Amino acid sequence: MTLLEAEPEKTYTIKEIQTDDEDMNAFLFRLGCYSGEPITVISKKKDSCVVVIKDARYNLDSLLSGAIIV
Amino acid sequence: MNMATIIALLAVVLIVFFAVRYIVKSKKSGAKCIGCPESGSCCKK
Amino acid sequence: MRIAFAGNPNSGKTTMYNALTGMSEKVGNWAGVTVGRKESPLKEEYSHGQEVIAVDLPGAYSMSPFTPEEGITSEYVRERHPDAIINIVDATNLSRSLFFTTQLLELGVPVVVALNKSDINEKENTVIDVAALEQKLGCPVIKTVSTEKTNSGLKELVDKAISLNGKGQVAPYVQADIDLHDKNQVDAEDRKRFSFVNDIVSQVETRQTLSSKSNAEDRLDSILLNKVSGILIFAAVMWLVFTISQAWLGPLVADWLVGYIEGFQEWVTEKMADSPAILTTIVADGIIGGVGAVVGFLPLVMVMYFLIALLEDCGYMARVSAVMDPIFKRVGLSGKSVIPVIIGTGCGIPAIMACRTIRDERERRATAMLSTFIPCGAKVPVIALFAGAFFAGAGWVSTVSYFLGLVLIFLGALLVKVVTGYKYRKSFFIMELPKYKIPSIKRAFFSMLERAKAYIIKAATIILVCNLVVQLMQSYDWSFRAVEEGMEHTSILASIASPFALLLIPLGFGAWQLAAAAITGFIAKENVVGTLAVVYGLTNFIDVDELAMVGGANEISVAMGLTTVSALAYLFFNLYTPPCFAAIGAMNSEMQSKGWLWCAIGLQLCTGYTVAFLVYQIGTLITEGHLGQGFVPGLIAIAVMACVVFMISRRIRADFDRQYALHGGKIPA
Repeated sequence: MTLLEAEPEKTYTIKEIQTDDEDMNAFLFRLGCYSGEPITVISKKKDSCVVVIKDARYNLDSLLSGAIIV
Repeated sequence: MNMATIIALLAVVLIVFFAVRYIVKSKKSGAKCIGCPESGSCCKK
Repeated sequence: MRIAFAGNPNSGKTTMYNALTGMSEKVGNWAGVTVGRKESPLKEEYSHGQEVIAVDLPGAYSMSPFTPEEGITSEYVRERHPDAIINIVDATNLSRSLFFTTQLLELGVPVVVALNKSDINEKENTVIDVAALEQKLGCPVIKTVSTEKTNSGLKELVDKAISLNGKGQVAPYVQADIDLHDKNQVDAEDRKRFSFVNDIVSQVETRQTLSSKSNAEDRLDSILLNKVSGILIFAAVMWLVFTISQAWLGPLVADWLVGYIEGFQEWVTEKMADSPAILTTIVADGIIGGVGAVVGFLPLVMVMYFLIALLEDCGYMARVSAVMDPIFKRVGLSGKSVIPVIIGTGCGIPAIMACRTIRDERERRATAMLSTFIPCGAKVPVIALFAGAFFAGAGWVSTVSYFLGLVLIFLGALLVKVVTGYKYRKSFFIMELPKYKIPSIKRAFFSMLERAKAYIIKAATIILVCNLVVQLMQSYDWSFRAVEEGMEHTSILASIASPFALLLIPLGFGAWQLAAAAITGFIAKENVVGTLAVVYGLTNFIDVDELAMVGGANEISVAMGLTTVSALAYLFFNLYTPPCFAAIGAMNSEMQSKGWLWCAIGLQLCTGYTVAFLVYQIGTLITEGHLGQGFVPGLIAIAVMACVVFMISRRIRADFDRQYALHGGKIPA
C-alpha cells in the first residue's frame, strides 16, 4: 500500500519509491527515505501527511505520499 | 547674506556632497539598493 | 585562510557565522533561509590577529544538488578549495546529517564537525559519545551551542579549524570507483554509505526520547496544519502583524517623532526668514520636509520588521508553507512560494532570492515574478500616507492592500499557468517541519535596528538626493528661470511628467505631480512619499486627525485634489506596478531569462493599471452614480494589454507543442 492508506502513529518499512522522477527519488534518498528504511506516520489529512524519516519531521503532499509504497 | 543663509548653504552643500559620495561609493562596491545590509550579497551567487 | 561553513539546511550555519563574524545575516527557523554565499572575516577574539575569512553557504543534504541553492554549496566546496571546512551537524538529527559529513570528508580538505544545537539534546536526554564519533570519523568533533554567549564551544571549534590549516584529511569512508552515470551503481553506493553512517550512529548515540513518538508539538501542528483552522490562524497572524505595526503601535510612536521633525522644520524656516526664498524651500521643503516625511513612517516599518523577525524565528513559516501548499498548487505554484511572499513584506529583493529553494523552474520564475505584489517595507509609508490622509487612518486600508496583493498573486499565477500551458512534470511538495522554538526578542530587536539603520541611510542618501532633484526641477523651467507662483505647469518636472499624467487620466489621477511621484517611486518606493511631500509642500502626513479638527477639511486631500476613490486607485497603482529598479535587477538575475523578465514587468504594469482603472471607474460609479473620466480610452488600453497577453500565450503554446512533439518523436500534422 502507499502512505495514503497508512495509519497514523504507526511505523512502516518503505518498500519502494515511485515518483517517476529520478531527481526526486535521489533527493528523498539523501533524506534517508529509501526502500528498507523505517518511516513513521505522525498524522494524516486529506491532502497531506506528516512523517518521521530518520529523526526529522516532514510534511508531504498527497502526490508524494502516494508515491511511497510501504 | 546673513548668518543663517551661509550656514544653510554650507549645510546643503555638505549634506549633498556626503550623500552623493555615499551613493557613488556603495554603487561602486556593487550594492543595488543603497543602505541595504543584504544588497552586498544579493544578486550574486 | 578561508573556512567554509557547510551542513544540512536549518542546522544553524548562519547563526554560527553571525556569532563568529559579528555580521547580522538573515536567520530563521526553516530549511532554506540562506540562498547565497556570504563572506566575512572572523572577529578578532576568534582569529587571534590572523586573516581568517568565514564563508557561509546555503544548506545542502548532499554533494549532488537538488535545488539551485544546494548547487552553490557543492560547487564552492568542490571548486574553490577552502582551507578548512566547519561541518555544522544538527546534533538532534545525526543519522541524516552524517551522510553529507562523510562526503565532505572525502574532499581532502580538513573538516571539523560542530555538533550544533547540543542544548536541545541535553533537554531530550540524548547522549552522543563525542570521543567515539571523533575516532570513527577521523576528524575533530566539538559540541556547540551558537545561540549561547558563554560555553558555546565556538572558540575551541575555530581554534581547531585554524590549527588544521594546510593539513589534509583522511576519509573514513571512500566511495568505490563506480560509473557515476549508472543510476543503479550510484544507488547501491549511496546505500552503503548510509549503512556506514547508521552503524556509527547506533554506536555513538543513545536516545531517551524517540523522535517517532507523537508529542506536544505534533498536537500543535495538527491545528496549524489543518486546512480550515490553519488558514484562519495564518490570516489572523498576518492581520495582527499589519494592524499592530500600521494602526496601533506604529502610528503612536510615529506621531511623536513627526512632531519633532515638524518643529525642527518650523524652526529652520523661522531662522531663514531673511534668506533667499529658493534656499529656504530647498532646505525646509526639499531636505527636511521630504526626508522627514519618509523618516516619519519609520516606526511603522520598524514594528513590522520586529514582528516578522519573531515569526521567522519560531518555526511557524514551515507550517504556513505546508498548509498553503494545496491552495497554491491549484494556481500552479507550490507551498514553497509562501515563504517569498512573507519575506516580501519586508523587502522584495530577499523575497525574490528566496525563490531559489523552489525546484521547478516555472514555479520558481512565476514566484519571482509575482512575489512583489505583496507590499514591501518601502511601500508601508505610501499605504500609511493614504490611509491617514483619505481614510482617517483606517486599519482596513493596509489589510486590504496586503490581501489584494495575495489575490493578485493567485490571479497572476493562474494567468501564468494558462499562458504557459500545461505542466509536463509533477510538482511534489516536501517540507521539513523544524522544532518550534521561543523566538529570541533580542535577535528580533537587533534585526529591527539593522533594518531601521538601512532605512535611515536610504532616506538620507538616495531619497534626499532625489527630493532635491525633484525640488529643483519643480522650481525652474527649461531656460533655468525660477518658476513663478501659478505657473508651476511650466517647470521642468511638470513638462516631463505631463505626458505620463495623460495616460493616468482614466485611472482618476491625471495630475503631473502624482505622475512624477509614481515615476520617482521606481528608484525607491519611499520616494513616492518624499516627492509628494516636496511637490505639495507637506510634511505631516500622520497626524492628520488634528488637521481635520482644526481646519475642518483635510489639508492633504484638498492639496492633492483627489477623491477618496481616486486616492485608493492611486495607492493601488503604486503598490502593484513594477517594484523598484533594485528588485527588478534581482528578478533579472533569478529568472535568468530576458523573456520572463519582460513578461514580468509587463504583467506588473498591466496589473497596476487595470486594478487602478477598475477601482476608480467602479468606485466612481458607486459613489457618484456615473463613470469616471476617460473610461473609453482606459478600456481600449486594457483591451490592447489583453491582446498582447493573448498573443504571447499563443506563441508560447506553439513552442510548447513543438517541444512536446519532439520529445514524443512525433511530427505535428
